[in-house]
Amino acid sequence: MKTPARVLADQVNQIQKSGRFSPRSASLPTWCPGCGYFGIHQGLNDCISSLGIPLTQIVTVSGIGCAGRYPFFSKTYGLHTVHGRALPAATGVKLGNPNLTVFAVGGDGDGLAIGGGHLPHIARRNIDVNYLLFDNSIYGLTKGQPSPSSPMGTKTKASPYGTIDKPLNATLMALAYGASFVARLFAGDPKGITEALIEGIRNPGFSIFHIYTTCVTFDKNFKTWAHLKKWTHALPQDYDPTDLGRAFNEVLKDDFSLGVIFKRDA
Amino acid sequence: MPEVDFTVEVCGMAGDGTIAAGGLINEAMSHGGFSVLGFDSYPAEIRGFGRCVTNSRIGSNEIVALGEKTHALISLNDEQSRSRTPSLAEHSLVFFDSNPPAYVPEDNSLLSVLPPGAQVFGIPFGALAVGASGASRGRNLTALGGFAAVTGVDPNLFRKVIRDKFKAKGDRVVDINVKSFDAGYEYALEKFSDRLKSIFSKIETDHDPKKVMLSGNQAIGMAAIDAGLKLYFGYPITPATPIMEYLAKYLPERGGRVVQMEDEISSIGAVLGSFYAGTRSMTATSGPGFALMTELITHGVMAEIPAVILDAQRGGPATGLPTKTEQSDLHAAVFGGPGDSARIVIAPTDVEECYHFVIRSFQLAEKYQTPVIVLTDFFLDNRVENRPLIRAMEGQAASWNVFPDEAFKDHYQRYADTPSGISPRALPGMEGFNFTATGLEHTEKGSPDYSPENHAKMSEKRHRKLRYALKDLEKPAEFFASDHLDVGVIGWGSTFGSVLEAVEKSRKNGFKVGALKVTSIFPYHSETIGAFMAKSKRVLVPELNYEGQLANLIAHLDSKPVDRLNFVTGTPIPPSAIQSRIEELLGVLA
Amino acid sequence: MSMKRFVIIGNGPAANHAAKALRENSSESRITIFSKDPFRSYRAHLLPDFIAGLIKEEDLYNSSYAHYNEMDINLRLGQRVVSVDFSKRNVILDHKEVVPFDGLIVATGGKPRLPEQFQLFQDIMLTLKTPLDARMWVEKLSNVDSVLIIGGDLTSLSLTKALLKLHKRVKFILNDDAFWPVPLNEEIYRAVTGRLEQRGVEIVHCRRIRRITQLEENLLEVETDREILETGVLGAFFGLVPDVGFLARTGLDIDRGILVDEFLKTRFANVYAAGDCAQVYHPALRDYWVSIGHENATALGRIAALNLAGSHFEVQVKPESILEVGGVKINTSWWTEF
Ligand SMILES: Cc1cc2nc3c(=O)[nH]c(=O)nc-3n(C[C@H](O)[C@H](O)[C@H](O)COP(=O)(O)OP(=O)(O)OC[C@H]3O[C@@H](n4cnc5c(N)ncnc54)[C@H](O)[C@@H]3O)c2cc1C
Ligand SMILES: Cc1ncc(C[n+]2csc(CCOP(=O)(O)OP(=O)(O)O)c2C)c(N)n1
Ligand code: SF4
Ligand SMILES: [Mg+2]
Repeated sequence: MKTPARVLADQVNQIQKSGRFSPRSASLPTWCPGCGYFGIHQGLNDCISSLGIPLTQIVTVSGIGCAGRYPFFSKTYGLHTVHGRALPAATGVKLGNPNLTVFAVGGDGDGLAIGGGHLPHIARRNIDVNYLLFDNSIYGLTKGQPSPSSPMGTKTKASPYGTIDKPLNATLMALAYGASFVARLFAGDPKGITEALIEGIRNPGFSIFHIYTTCVTFDKNFKTWAHLKKWTHALPQDYDPTDLGRAFNEVLKDDFSLGVIFKRDA
Repeated sequence: MPEVDFTVEVCGMAGDGTIAAGGLINEAMSHGGFSVLGFDSYPAEIRGFGRCVTNSRIGSNEIVALGEKTHALISLNDEQSRSRTPSLAEHSLVFFDSNPPAYVPEDNSLLSVLPPGAQVFGIPFGALAVGASGASRGRNLTALGGFAAVTGVDPNLFRKVIRDKFKAKGDRVVDINVKSFDAGYEYALEKFSDRLKSIFSKIETDHDPKKVMLSGNQAIGMAAIDAGLKLYFGYPITPATPIMEYLAKYLPERGGRVVQMEDEISSIGAVLGSFYAGTRSMTATSGPGFALMTELITHGVMAEIPAVILDAQRGGPATGLPTKTEQSDLHAAVFGGPGDSARIVIAPTDVEECYHFVIRSFQLAEKYQTPVIVLTDFFLDNRVENRPLIRAMEGQAASWNVFPDEAFKDHYQRYADTPSGISPRALPGMEGFNFTATGLEHTEKGSPDYSPENHAKMSEKRHRKLRYALKDLEKPAEFFASDHLDVGVIGWGSTFGSVLEAVEKSRKNGFKVGALKVTSIFPYHSETIGAFMAKSKRVLVPELNYEGQLANLIAHLDSKPVDRLNFVTGTPIPPSAIQSRIEELLGVLA
Repeated sequence: MSMKRFVIIGNGPAANHAAKALRENSSESRITIFSKDPFRSYRAHLLPDFIAGLIKEEDLYNSSYAHYNEMDINLRLGQRVVSVDFSKRNVILDHKEVVPFDGLIVATGGKPRLPEQFQLFQDIMLTLKTPLDARMWVEKLSNVDSVLIIGGDLTSLSLTKALLKLHKRVKFILNDDAFWPVPLNEEIYRAVTGRLEQRGVEIVHCRRIRRITQLEENLLEVETDREILETGVLGAFFGLVPDVGFLARTGLDIDRGILVDEFLKTRFANVYAAGDCAQVYHPALRDYWVSIGHENATALGRIAALNLAGSHFEVQVKPESILEVGGVKINTSWWTEF
């Protein structure tokens, strides 16, 4: 005979097996200890858990990079594509089965360099994909080359005399591309990430989460934990994310204010 | 019964109604029970300017290749038609406007460059059209009237197809167009009463009502729809664009959608994404776009995700010759991309096969979890044929995916190493089968693993699967089979029709020649092909490319060298060129 | 200097010999032949044999298309010249094409003559000039067994031979102004009628024809001042007249034919005429004569071409071989044994 406790335990067991409460996969992330991506992982997992979306109904799509490894560390369905192509693949997944919740994840090289041409188009098509852009301003996986968001003067082995190109601002680009939901976040604030994701998932179109993060291994100068913690701060109290003009102004004058920058009125 | 094998060209400037006139000829002759193969050429990139030419080969027997010599030229613009004269047959009939709006200097006139035996039929196209309809726009129909009268086509065939074509535009439009046709018809009957021919009138053919006039592109579009296509992702490129345009028109009514992507990379990316999610999708492109797709195609190979990619080949390399035909993407289709990335490549040889192969490509892609590349080319895509076309049977839209057994729930191995190499594939949404598809080398479970044993094992599994796929791939078809051949000709793609015609003619000349049609390009039936090569004293592979790409692929199957016939003219290989090469080889044998 | 453009109007013996001579003497030039007829150059004298079924149509034609290609002559068949602009030096075609020329030879030959009184009946009277006409005869003759010939010229005599071979009943109304190009004097009249009757041809004597009625498709009724005749088909044979009407308003001198000097030159520089269409000046006679017949045509064609190419040949015709028929001076190389 089954005791109520036993029934409950069975149910919990079942639910756990289904992965509903623990999106973390059995394999531990292979990221370097201290990598900012752990914070993002936590933020996204908490969002999935708290919304209770069945893991079988989620597809996490990625390209290549340290960030691109993400699907292996999640119990959702995963589609680990090639460098730069997470967004087109995510488009296909979402249109192929609109019942699925689709996340796309990837680094700044993946999303702003090789795959940079896809961002405007998924935004203008307003495909219901939630895109987490892990912006550490460095190529992590290939061991520390400058990325499109590296500040001028970035010195790496590939740029020993410092870079001379101006960095891209992904939040500003997303606004300009007409993304219907734009948030700027920080890997050191998983709670903030979770909150923004919960809000962004509700947006029936394309949502981009531009997440400042750190590469502890290859960036000792710019987006370090210390710097990011010092530089980032909340958006102004009276900030209205439905005002696109204001959003542009905010992003133009402040690189480090965090929160939901823009959401299109329903 | 006398045989008809007659080629007619219509030539004009964009805006002259050239393509419409050519289309009406095809339809009318098809209704008359003739076999028709038509091919239009016009400047695809710049509409509104330039020369349009339609070529229709009309036969009482089955027509499999384009006409080489033009028996009738209908000129809607004489200056443009001057370019057509080199292909005129002896005693060809030339129909032209005998009352153009202005005087024409000799150096621009068509008649000044005709061969001496040409038979000219001057008909005041424009003036008659004005008389019949009040406007000169119907002059293309007046021209058809003249053509019908002189060649002995039953005018009711034309009247019927004109009605069909214009009925959507209302009775008045139908009426003035029929009147324009009749004006030309009656004028020519009377004016050329002593020069009328009965080329088409005395022929009795069995009209097959199931025959439909279709282009390769239309057949491809229809097949995709019949296969239950839900999503088409593409980027415009000649000559694949009409497929996108066809689907854009007809897919929505089936609940599907065409998404014009930002490039070919995103197109194949989205195709993979949607197949990953369990939905049939496809993309069509041409060489340059195909090149961009190759990385993701190999991703489909590695991650074992189905995809259907149609490569409508054009002249290459690079931007090459966008509006010309070539078969030079075979290497790219079979080998393009990083690594040992074998995938399925099939190539239809005619419009009917375009239809069946596209349906088949979805099934193969699903069953073998791999990208399937359908190789067509400009000529095949754009030519029209009236063949009896069997539309899809029930179940063509049903998935061929091999799903995992419920028993594997919760300990599912996405890339399980099975005897066939096919690992049952779960789809997102299925409870207990979560996995990550990856383009990294991976274990059976799907975890990245670069160990030598694992890579060896998984490479073997993927290739085993492809070898296994051979049983579902169409075998090479032998024509005029016999135990020994002096020359065995191997053809593929749009070129095969020319091969068949050439071989048939050589046989009529008494030579021991046979043909092998290869439609499964990769994997290919090496035993069948090898046996054919072995029993042929000489093996000839005619192709529309410089490098002999199919020849390169199969040359190793026999010890003697393969003879090649390579054309890079941007136009279909004329059967006569193949025939003379065959007979040249026979001369060497003798 | 740019390549010279020579245009020849006509595709009969005069034209073809002219073209050949031009090509031989001017390898660089561009030579174009126009013919309003849609068929190749043919041997007119074989037309009766064709009608009689003695030869095939193909045997009528005397040169292949390849021949023109070899000689680099642009042969343009079925294309009628409707005018010539001698000031702009252009030939104008029926289909509104304008062809410039540096030198021109008119060799348009003759066309069957129909006296005014018969012009109303033009479409029911058969003539014989071209293979097309011959085909009409063949078609007609397959449905009728009697033929009435009005006029009577050399052509009609050759045709009659063919008709008799086909066992047709032939009646003849010999018209005295018709025996073109030979004057029908008593002597010839008697000789011809005698020969005809001997072969079974019925000679109908009458002064004039009153009426022609079409009773059925293949039955005509002809009423003369003396009797009413029935016949299956009616032929009109009144000789050939120069086919130059289209040049009437161009400024050329035209009498019956195109007037040319003894060098075959017209009044326009580098414009010549030859063959049946020409009327040639004879310095000794101080008058013009009309040329008729194959031999004449070839000879004149050649001379015209040579002179156009820069020579200075004079046409040599003995005055005594020039006849006068109905006020027209004629030289003919055409004699038919009947
Ligand atoms: C039935 C028949 C039998 C004959 N038998 C004999 C015979 O036995 N012996 C003999 O010596 N002669 C014979 N003749 C006459 C002989 O054929 C002619 O004298 C000879 O052909 C004249 O040659 P030609 O080149 O001057 O003109 P043709 O041969 O009359 O040629 C004239 C050419 O000019 C072309 N033409 C005319 N007008 C135009 C235009 N506006 N535009 C373009 N082209 C034009 C015509 O198409 C034709 O090609 C016969 C004629 C006939 C009809
Ligand atoms: C077509 C292609 N080019 C280059 C690479 C090599 N590559 C892999 S990851 C990467 C950049 C990674 O940087 P980023 O996208 O910022 O990801 P991160 O590692 O920082 O998370 C590059 C260049 C590749 N895998 N594919
Ligand atoms: S290399 Fe940098 S980005 Fe990659 S895992 Fe290590 S710390 Fe993270
Ligand atoms: Mg990075």
